[in-house]
Amino acid sequence: MRTIACLAAGGVAIALPFFVGPYGHYLLCMAVIYAMVALSLGLLLGVAGQISIGHAGFWAIGAYTSAILVTKVGVPFILTLLVSGLFAGVAGLLVALPALRVQGHYLAIATLGFSLVIVHVLYEWDGLTGGRQGMFVPRPSIFGYELMSDFSAYFLLLAILAVTLLLVVNLRRSLGGLSLNAMRLSDIAAQVCGVNRATTTMFVFALSAAITGVSGAFYGAVLGQLSTDSFTLVVSLGFLTMVIVGGLHSVVGALLGGLFLAYSPEFLRAFEEWQMFIYGALLVGFMHLLPDGLASLPRRALRLVRRRDA
Amino acid sequence: MNWLPLLLSGLAVGSIYALIGLSLVIINKATHVVNFAQGEIGMFGTFIALSVLSATGLPVFVVLVLSFPIGFLIGALLEIVFIKPVASGPPLNVLIVTLGLFFMFNSLAGIIWGFDPYRFPALFPTAPIAVGGAAVSPTSLGIIVITLLVMAALYVFFEHTRYGTAMRAASMNPFAARLMGIRVGVVATVSWGLAAGLSVMSGILIAPLTFVDQQMMLAIILKGFAGAILGGFASLPGAAIGCLLLGVMEAFVGAYVDNTIKDSFAFVLIIVVLMVRPQGLFTKALKRKV
Repeated sequence: MRTIACLAAGGVAIALPFFVGPYGHYLLCMAVIYAMVALSLGLLLGVAGQISIGHAGFWAIGAYTSAILVTKVGVPFILTLLVSGLFAGVAGLLVALPALRVQGHYLAIATLGFSLVIVHVLYEWDGLTGGRQGMFVPRPSIFGYELMSDFSAYFLLLAILAVTLLLVVNLRRSLGGLSLNAMRLSDIAAQVCGVNRATTTMFVFALSAAITGVSGAFYGAVLGQLSTDSFTLVVSLGFLTMVIVGGLHSVVGALLGGLFLAYSPEFLRAFEEWQMFIYGALLVGFMHLLPDGLASLPRRALRLVRRRDA
Repeated sequence: MNWLPLLLSGLAVGSIYALIGLSLVIINKATHVVNFAQGEIGMFGTFIALSVLSATGLPVFVVLVLSFPIGFLIGALLEIVFIKPVASGPPLNVLIVTLGLFFMFNSLAGIIWGFDPYRFPALFPTAPIAVGGAAVSPTSLGIIVITLLVMAALYVFFEHTRYGTAMRAASMNPFAARLMGIRVGVVATVSWGLAAGLSVMSGILIAPLTFVDQQMMLAIILKGFAGAILGGFASLPGAAIGCLLLGVMEAFVGAYVDNTIKDSFAFVLIIVVLMVRPQGLFTKALKRKV
């Protein structure tokens, strides 16, 4: 049953671009890019119980690392994905360093401060990043072939997303994922059972940041240009909104969240001024009414039906 | 003698941070969560004050005094409507709600009042006065004096009044406090009101120096965090002193080292303090009972 559902979802994901136009391809690419961020944030928030309001910072590191390596050094795009992930991961490790000493939500403030510093640095370092004007980024390429259209880039993205999914799903089931879960539920009990709080927190931060970095590398390449405006606090909070709307505690929720963040600007275009307000209201509303997000709807509905039968 | 004006302007900016830092600590003590919407509540209240000012033509100082009850109402209402229903859940949920409130207030201010900066009338005379051979801005002095008065009032309230003592008790041990007849739920509402009142005051104090727009408190709330963490998030006096210290350090770093790193300085400081001395400079490490 589970395998069939997975295969069906994969089939739909592969078939979808054949039914939409070029702009639809672009939106699908964005949905996959966002879904990767949602997966990484879901890992941090849903599994480890740590919040980050600075994921735009890791995203920026990934995007600029890849763009600079491709344009200034001439490294193939596929290789830059690895470097982007590595750099963002190391940054994640640095941000999580306070985890050695502090508990609770202090780390959230550290992530916020970090992302603002990163954007500040990128903005000032205009010799490398183009500063205020930003920089142009070549299309993604694989083994020397440039993926000129979003149609072809989508399939590369889908492949990377599949790898990420596999990684995250397996991590959730592994000892590491279980100890993270235990940490979220009660850090004292987890530590009594032999979970090292500091190293597990740092590990999940680094992994989450690395996945976001890879997603950032794709973001720059698909968009074709980068400027520091793409990595503001609003973007970080948008990421948070998508994870909450989709659902924290499952991979399905992360995918739904990615779709939400890519398509919601289309639906909200008529109320452009209200977009941020709606994001905020969604955060508050979901926390009050549906804290496990859209992904928990089927289960809730099922429970409701059963109750009526009984 | 150019260190005196620098010290005073640093202390003035630090006072603004301190008001925000104090409100963060008050809410953290009551609800055990960091309220990310604190700065935006202050910004929103400042806009309301500006509207009141231009509609009624009251003197600026009356509006400054009125700002506290306005803020108190906003904060208390927010707590009752948005926070109380989720307060029994995991703290993470409350934190996310405050982030949602941040979004809502930030964009609502833009929708209502537009995205252009407004000028706020000066609270104090602008001509510098000479103190010991150095030119000192009366605005800085005024901000410092008002903040000190507010801090003294807070101290008296928390240490020497019945309700202040009840609030401290509710923060230390909610269960025991409830057994003693303290309505812990009401304490949380009052804390939110108190904190919002302080934030609106800080917004009005800083408004004549910057401008009033929907981004005005963004940097300030971060500095408030940084200062409170520097001094110790668990204690009101510690947080206040940390914020003042941060303001002074910023002023000197900006003047003697480099003005562009002034803004990033606070954020680097947050991470360093959290790594080296997470309980802050002035408080002892909190021991948790298992």
